[in-house]
Amino acid sequence: MSILSTREAAMRALIEAAREDETLVVVSPDSMLAARAVPFQREFPDRLIEVGIAEQNAVDVAAGLAAAGMKPVVISYAGFLTMRACEMIRTFVAYPGLNVKFIGLNGGMLGGEREGVTHQFYEDVGILRSMPGVEILTPADAHQAYRAAKAMLDRRGPVYLRLGSGREPEVFDEHTPFEFGKIREVLAYGDDVALFASGFIMNRAIEAAKRLNGRGVGANLYDVSTIKPLDMEAVGAALRRVRAAVTVEDHNIYGGLGSAICEAACQIKPLRVERVGLRDLYPRSGAADELLDAYGLSIEDIADAAERSLR
Amino acid sequence: MNTGELYRMANRLRMDVVEMVHASGDGHPGPCMSIAEILSVLYFDEMRLRPEEPGWGERDRLILSKGHACPIQYAALARKGFFPMEELPKLRTLKGILQGHPDMNKTPGIDSVSGSLGNGIAVGLGMALGCRFRNIENYVYVIVGDGELEEGIVWEAAMAAAKHGAGRLIVFGDLNNHQSGGHVTELSSLYPVDEKFRAFHWHVQSIDGHDVDAIREAIRSAKAEKRVPSFIGCKTLKGKNISYMEDNNAWHKRTPTAEEVEIARKELMG
Repeated sequence: MSILSTREAAMRALIEAAREDETLVVVSPDSMLAARAVPFQREFPDRLIEVGIAEQNAVDVAAGLAAAGMKPVVISYAGFLTMRACEMIRTFVAYPGLNVKFIGLNGGMLGGEREGVTHQFYEDVGILRSMPGVEILTPADAHQAYRAAKAMLDRRGPVYLRLGSGREPEVFDEHTPFEFGKIREVLAYGDDVALFASGFIMNRAIEAAKRLNGRGVGANLYDVSTIKPLDMEAVGAALRRVRAAVTVEDHNIYGGLGSAICEAACQIKPLRVERVGLRDLYPRSGAADELLDAYGLSIEDIADAAERSLR
Repeated sequence: MNTGELYRMANRLRMDVVEMVHASGDGHPGPCMSIAEILSVLYFDEMRLRPEEPGWGERDRLILSKGHACPIQYAALARKGFFPMEELPKLRTLKGILQGHPDMNKTPGIDSVSGSLGNGIAVGLGMALGCRFRNIENYVYVIVGDGELEEGIVWEAAMAAAKHGAGRLIVFGDLNNHQSGGHVTELSSLYPVDEKFRAFHWHVQSIDGHDVDAIREAIRSAKAEKRVPSFIGCKTLKGKNISYMEDNNAWHKRTPTAEEVEIARKELMG
């Protein structure tokens, strides 16, 4: 597979699946262009259901489609889905356990970057994590987004796939597997500290682990690409090896990966956890890398958090 | 059923509601009474259903968007044979299968979760489109209250439904001019409702929602219109046919006493 953006990669997975499964439809609240769904619409003109700029309606229509035996995928910006249509996801999809899939675009500061706060979403994972029955996937790059989308479509019931701007760096080899519900060890430099990272900030976590290694701090880095259900067994094993942990996510430090790992640590092996993420504030417009650096998600911020956690 | 039998069934269902809310000690009786004739016609004359096979794929669907009126839908489903009548007094208890608001996974015959107001038309639209994709030639009925038409999603769905040519989506508006906090006409500038649906390119009819023959005729007319969805605006009376409940919003959510049950019995079954 040639290198694609995360959005195109996920859409390619949908198109391939739609060729095999005629119940698969995309529900678009005017998200066709943002979702890179034009090729889908060209190939399956009847199966891209445009409902207009109306996310709540999109989710309820998807619920009705699923109740009639279809397999709808609703695509919109992460916040318009999880905040504006929050109750529809919870009451009309998750509660009855309907087979509706969600793709949230512009996840994180990096996802919305220059658009500003209205189009940057750092609450989506926290919101959905509090809903029974919703599974959450946060792939790290385009190849992983492709595989995550396939994994999502193989699940029965509501799944949320978090994507970004479509301009995320490639991190992993295209043959890198994506296993639903499992964390994956990315680097193993030693048993001082465990780094848990999720999403399109993985490149920074990798660099931070390397930098730490150069300073004599051994870090094991894990890709947590399924936030819910969390791989408690492997997270527990990772925590038992180390003295401290750091979480790295492009999301508020409340509700997302940081919270999930803290909860796991409290239950399995209490230790110090430093959370790298947006520190409960609203950032501003800016170039992607500059924004992450400005709001505490630089490579050095991650390395600092690891060293701090060991003090 | 003939016209007389459908009227009798409507009152029978009303009586079931009074008895079950009395037995359970909780529920919304008033909002049930204004849709008794609509449900009587749908369940006992119109809808293609298989009570012995609730999940039958070809069945007509019904979403009670004003889900708080579910006691009367439960009564209809029980009388239709979807589950035993003995379930009715167990309304809203852990012992039974009848939730405070409809749940498609706990109660046979229920097609959708509902009760969070305003969502029924949107879900119904999805169902109608899904059935069309699957070449199922059925109808999707939705019953909405007038109060819940204040929700924005109603109009999102109304816009999308005509655009998608959802000709098999038939929506009944239970226009009783009451909502939890008072009269709809006092709390909002919703009315006229019919004109709004017409402006959204729906096929619109206005009828007396307690006239069984008018309901049947309106359904025939709605089915004849195949290109766009139908809205049947039904002028109704909240608490209809029970003297102490009629047009009295105190009965939106209230439990009848044993004495009130007997008054209702005389008025409905006498």
